[in-house]
Amino acid sequence: MTTQTIATSDRIEKAQPGWVKLLDMSDRALAVLLLTPAAVLLTLIIVYPVLRLGYTSFFSLSLTSGLPAEFVGFENYQLMFTDPVFWETTWNTVLITLITVPGALIVGMALALLANLPFGVQWPVRLSLLIPWALPLSFAGLIFAWFFHSEYGVVNDVLARFGIEGVIWFNSPNLAFAAICLTIIWKTSSFMALIILAGLQTIPRSLYEAADVDGAGRIRQFFEITLPLLKPAIVVALIFRTITALQTFDIPYMMTGGGPGTSTSTLAMYIHQNTVSFLDLGYGSALAVVMFALSMCVTAVYLRIIRTKE
Amino acid sequence: MNIKPIVGALLSATVLGISAPAFADTELKVYISSQHQPQVWRKVLDQFEAANPGTKVTIETGGNTSEAQAQYLNTIMSAKDSSLDVLILDVIRPAQFAAAGWTSPFAGKDMSVYLPAYAEANTVDGKVVALPAFADSMFLYYRKDLLEKHGVQPPKTWDELKAAVKKINGAENNPDLQGLSFQGKAIEGAVCTFLLPYWSQGKNLVDNGKLTFDKDAAVKSLKLWKSFVDEGVSKKNIAEVATDDTRKEFQAGNVVFAVNWSYAWAQSQSKDSAVAGKVGVTRLPAVTGGESATCLGGWEWGVSSYSKNQDAAKKLVEYLSSKDASKYMAANGSLLPTYASLYQDEDVLKAAPWFADAKQVVETAKPRPVTPRYNEVSEVIRTTVNAVLAGVTTPEDGAAQIEARLRRILR
Repeated sequence: MTTQTIATSDRIEKAQPGWVKLLDMSDRALAVLLLTPAAVLLTLIIVYPVLRLGYTSFFSLSLTSGLPAEFVGFENYQLMFTDPVFWETTWNTVLITLITVPGALIVGMALALLANLPFGVQWPVRLSLLIPWALPLSFAGLIFAWFFHSEYGVVNDVLARFGIEGVIWFNSPNLAFAAICLTIIWKTSSFMALIILAGLQTIPRSLYEAADVDGAGRIRQFFEITLPLLKPAIVVALIFRTITALQTFDIPYMMTGGGPGTSTSTLAMYIHQNTVSFLDLGYGSALAVVMFALSMCVTAVYLRIIRTKE
Repeated sequence: MNIKPIVGALLSATVLGISAPAFADTELKVYISSQHQPQVWRKVLDQFEAANPGTKVTIETGGNTSEAQAQYLNTIMSAKDSSLDVLILDVIRPAQFAAAGWTSPFAGKDMSVYLPAYAEANTVDGKVVALPAFADSMFLYYRKDLLEKHGVQPPKTWDELKAAVKKINGAENNPDLQGLSFQGKAIEGAVCTFLLPYWSQGKNLVDNGKLTFDKDAAVKSLKLWKSFVDEGVSKKNIAEVATDDTRKEFQAGNVVFAVNWSYAWAQSQSKDSAVAGKVGVTRLPAVTGGESATCLGGWEWGVSSYSKNQDAAKKLVEYLSSKDASKYMAANGSLLPTYASLYQDEDVLKAAPWFADAKQVVETAKPRPVTPRYNEVSEVIRTTVNAVLAGVTTPEDGAAQIEARLRRILR
């Protein structure tokens, strides 16, 4: 048995010069062959549209004008600087990101730690983690729009039971904004929890046992073992969550439609409004390019963080 | 295993599949707004199918507001999608659809058979771009029983309405009874909300495509609506109320006065309505010293220029826009007719007696600005109305914002 193995590996080593090169070549060819469909698909559905978007952003192209597209250089981008709604919606988007990403991280972490406890029956815990994540965003938005409704909503009903007078959530920019952020945190923390839970389960129990022996308390164990080993999982979760937060659309669209006025409108909603409602494809494309650049910047920062960690 | 039967079955299926289109009917798909009773329109389509054997018509609905429907159609049409043959369009949209080249014109169509406002709304640059589906305008709905009980006449001015509400609410002492319901949510209806008292002061928003904005009249209009909220005539969350919310609240018996379109009538008289037989409809109040003004509504039938069945689709639209169809929808769906004579028709008046006086109101109704960029005009006005009613913006700032933003759109 042993001799046979040695013999086989010997033969491979002997054959290596000619063989491996050939195998290598065909491997490469095979790889190219296998990757081509994916590359073509990506080019068609991502690369081409993104390039086309950048191209359109330099044109005055509005389907309501009845005029053909006209090259205008950076005019659409200049227009943005003097457009108060652009600044308002961008600010709202940044604020939503700054509030809901850490919010979802903290809640998600707590949920993951809870779900990682040795429950007798695991599935109800896991299922309740999955449900908010599996719910379509617009459904969540609609459900919470009803929750926060001033007359029929459950939130004001609960407040009333505690003797607190209900408020008209969607009448005030701050309250409407708070309601939206709460909903987003509820909706997205389960995604955070799922990724963190996966990370938690890769941490060997033996580390905690050793720490117990050394006399480290629970809190010390969390900060010295759990948190450092969870970092890769957390960074991955943060990247995904931050990019989707920058693209926030469904929940505010369903809950407030951007109101009162435009006070809870996001950049994605403004892009949608300009392209789908106003049919101003030139300006809408320029706005979308800005959002694309914003997402790329954030991703670059995170990738940097990962690399320095490694 | 004997595969012959399988092959045979497959072959015959293929043959059938190939030959089927040869005998197939012309299939037309009609997009109808869900709030305009597609189930009643279905009956009209059935009549068309019976008269035109070989043509099959299916309905597609979606979205529950004019804006949601416009967004959907914008997506479909800008993708040059041929799946829809006939589209129902809000009266404010033919100009935009014509500019984008999305509807096929009706060459040589005589529009003089319709009410003049609709002949005009569907003619863009001398071309007939769509045909009228039904007429509409905003009316004041009121609780006949409550007004009679408290000896109140239907109000002629908004101030009289306020006084009437205070009298009735004071005597009824019912915290669930709201004085006036109107549209404060940032939807198309809120554009009319703004324009009603604005027009009532004798001012116009646009003249010959040029903005003729009167800031004082705008401030006065926004202040009037805000005062209804502040004085408890309307409820505090009016900024959440859309057109169909007004209809539902009124139908549930929780509202004395409501601003709404004609469609609310049929449902207010239905079996499950708390106010059947207790509803009066009259023209909208004026501002004190002004004239009563109302918003021209109504929807139009257009043929998609991407439809592969142009002739059949046009034939269907001619039918849907015919006097017979108009009469059927008036009697069965309380949609106002687009033919003058139907306002005196016995069958129609049996179903909706107040239609007798409605013609005059529709004829004097004012159209919202006609421009291909109407969606932008609408967005400016409705979000500002919404912000003022929510107390986020003052009427003065709101009017200034409307003016500044409309100037950019209607250069």
